[in-house]
Amino acid sequence: MRETRSVGRSVRRVDAVAKVTGQARYPADYAMPGMRHAKVVWAGEPHARILGLDVSAALALPGVVAVLTSRDVPHNEFGLIDSDQQVLAADVVRWTGEPVAVVVAETEELAEWARDLVKVTYEPLPLLLDPIRAMAPEAPLIHAGRASNVLASWKIRRGDVDAALAEADLIIEAEYHVPFVEHAYLQPEAALGYLDEEGRVTVVAAGQWPHDDVRQISHALGLPREQVREIVPYIGGAFGGREDISLQILVALAAWKTRGPVKMVWTREESMRCHGKRHPFTMRYRWGARDGRITAARVELIADAGAYSSSSRAVVPGALSVAVGPYNIPNVWVDACVVHTNNPPTMAMRGFGTAQPPVAYEQHMDRFARALGEDPVSFRLKHLWEEGSVQATGAPVPPGVGVKETLRQAAQAIGWRPVGERWVKPDLPPLPDGRRRGVGLATAFKNVGYSFGFHDRSTARVTVDLDHRGEPERAEVFIGAAEVGMGVHTVLVQIAAEGLELPTDRVKLHVVDTSETPNAGSSSASRHTFISGNAVMEACRRALAGRTPGQRRVEAEYTFDSQDVRPTTDLDRETGGCNPHITYGYVTQAAEVAVDPVTGLVEVLRMVSAQDVGRAMNPLMIEGQVGGGLSMGLGYALMEEFKLRDDGRVRTRNFSEYLIPTTLDLPSELTSINVEVPDPAGPYGAKGLGEHVMLPTAPAVLNAIRDALGVDINQLPAGPERIWRALAAARKGVSQ
Amino acid sequence: MDLKEVDVELFVNGERHRLRVGTDESLLEVLRDRLGLTGTKEGCAAGDCGTCTVIMDGRAVLSCLVMAFQADGHRITTVEGLAQGGKLHPLQESFVEHGAVQCGYCTPGMLMSAKALLDADPSPSRETIREALSGNLCRCTGYYKIIDAVEDGARRLAAGTAGGPGAGAGPAAGAPRPGRAGEGR
Repeated sequence: MRETRSVGRSVRRVDAVAKVTGQARYPADYAMPGMRHAKVVWAGEPHARILGLDVSAALALPGVVAVLTSRDVPHNEFGLIDSDQQVLAADVVRWTGEPVAVVVAETEELAEWARDLVKVTYEPLPLLLDPIRAMAPEAPLIHAGRASNVLASWKIRRGDVDAALAEADLIIEAEYHVPFVEHAYLQPEAALGYLDEEGRVTVVAAGQWPHDDVRQISHALGLPREQVREIVPYIGGAFGGREDISLQILVALAAWKTRGPVKMVWTREESMRCHGKRHPFTMRYRWGARDGRITAARVELIADAGAYSSSSRAVVPGALSVAVGPYNIPNVWVDACVVHTNNPPTMAMRGFGTAQPPVAYEQHMDRFARALGEDPVSFRLKHLWEEGSVQATGAPVPPGVGVKETLRQAAQAIGWRPVGERWVKPDLPPLPDGRRRGVGLATAFKNVGYSFGFHDRSTARVTVDLDHRGEPERAEVFIGAAEVGMGVHTVLVQIAAEGLELPTDRVKLHVVDTSETPNAGSSSASRHTFISGNAVMEACRRALAGRTPGQRRVEAEYTFDSQDVRPTTDLDRETGGCNPHITYGYVTQAAEVAVDPVTGLVEVLRMVSAQDVGRAMNPLMIEGQVGGGLSMGLGYALMEEFKLRDDGRVRTRNFSEYLIPTTLDLPSELTSINVEVPDPAGPYGAKGLGEHVMLPTAPAVLNAIRDALGVDINQLPAGPERIWRALAAARKGVSQ
Repeated sequence: MDLKEVDVELFVNGERHRLRVGTDESLLEVLRDRLGLTGTKEGCAAGDCGTCTVIMDGRAVLSCLVMAFQADGHRITTVEGLAQGGKLHPLQESFVEHGAVQCGYCTPGMLMSAKALLDADPSPSRETIREALSGNLCRCTGYYKIIDAVEDGARRLAAGTAGGPGAGAGPAAGAPRPGRAGEGR
């Protein structure tokens, strides 16, 4: 490994001091003189035709400046991939969180009051909340004019699964279910819109992909892109939930129509109800083994798209591509589809389709190991990818495959002992209080960067001041990479400092302003270290290479395009054949749990996470990501479920109803191990890890619960009631 | 809207403020909107998340649930009042150095809960710290680094070593978790 001075070190976060002093400003902290306040009139109805919209009483209220409806929106459409959402609903509402009107008033209280005076008359339409029912041919259509409610479907066909299943000496079949999950970032949506000194419609908001927000805002408002500007200050968490537009267009519209500053802040209830969720999946797994090896994997994935497409067309192929895990299985048959319902649209969330399948494939791996009398470690090792392995889509695995090492390290750290070819499980007698202990592990993987032929690009501009000898003195980096909390700004400063041979405190990275910082793409897909890191590294190299004697300042701009370095291709419609992803990160986690057999309550006693990150750019920040991933994964495993009532309205409206882990829910002991198998295409060999570190958590915990109690839990979350029922069913001899 | 209003006197970060506030105004709203102290964040406005935590007369309180008139005559400390004379409070230092900050939105509330704890119990156990922070939600960190930082903050405060060794550079890669409060004194 190359000697480095900034990269690979636990450099202090560039934004930490601003954040501990309260000086860091988030969108709701911005204010302007003469600022008005806006509130949204939400649909409330999950599926209905708008018969009438009467804004007269609201407009008559003194202090109300405007009530904006669909008629005020030049192009009333937006969306990340398909422009299928209405900025303000015109005729039909398809989920309860759809905006119908925006009220602008002199104070927030007045806007709230006026909002309640807007009268909307609805005619209810048939309600579809279950994707399995919605995909039936006779189901009423949620989007008129379509052939069905199935938004899209994909498949993988490799080898001959039917023949392999026919020849198998062991077949295991199970159906797994995972629920809607709420991102639950701590900062509710907020934005300030105004016309800047050049008359540009400007929005201060927390967007994960600022330049794409500008694309969508300018389209809706019918303005040229250079007439729209987004400034992204500090962001209070995102996890995918800010990749879609939430209030950006509404605030831009309000500022543009009223020709002055307008602020909108969502309450926690509005945030939970009115932005998208993680996709629920039904996952049917039927796998076969012969002579101790898995030879066939047949998988069906059915995902709930909710009312609009958002990024479903990208999330579900992601799930398809990882459906059988990082394992060598010769015969693979996968069908995946995503179906519209009147639920909230489902969207990007940490993992982007790769968080759901491990809940199935990692429990399935354990089931096979048990049935074959093997231990789960050596059984996995027998099937796991190595350098040069071939993926289910037919392409070789990208270089840098450290997955086996993550498994060995995690297994050993939690107490498994290698004995010859086998691994011996730690002996865990019940605790004195009667709780049963169990240990489990799971391996998962995910792509870094955008996939299936997408040009994953990031542009960086670097300005370097030189001393009289032509050596760098200080530098400024301009890159439109939104810092959502994961530390991208710090890592990019480290990379620039490394390339320019400067201390990190001599490198300034500018916050995102789309009028000044070039497009870096989205803060998603664990991509910035790899994609934007490459852009910054090369921009620095070019800046220095362009030096001439006597010059005191050099500048260079560079656009990294993944397709030039590691081209990917789209899925073949019939076979799924393709080179799906740029590169992968791999993680194995192991958990020790204690379960009360009387109440079904699970306590996670300790966990281990071993992640192949390629190169650990900032070890302290990686530990932070691991802790956060683990926390989100534990929430997924044990407590989190965004619930709707039978009438389509939201049941879990705030943090007292939607529970996320607190300090008391995390295991007191966490061991984090970095495995560094570099990808030569990554900056200093780095891959990515932000999403990866939550992927195996839930199946590791479920496998530990299975070890403790002897029952399988096929549905998340594994709360006390679900475990208690599984135990009761097992006692009666009924399988779940 | 004829809101009933009252005059209050608040002592915020050592400064006296005389204000006329609505009887339905929360302390959080007054701090943020009237005094411009936006370091204190709103996360849920229902007392569930802890992001709006401030210290009132030595106790950590949720400023979204305290009405402004209830704070009349009381001493309030917000995150802006932690650093003194341009020098970070030892807890702020330890948060920075232990990687306890990610998105930063929960950070002010965490710091205030931690300060209230250490003011009352200068050498809390790790378990006590977990208990004391259990009302402050964080979605980014998994809390480990925050608990490390509070543990180390306690040591720094007790030893009076704020700004001393370790305050300049970040901890070395793979640095061992700081020992429990009380060790090495």
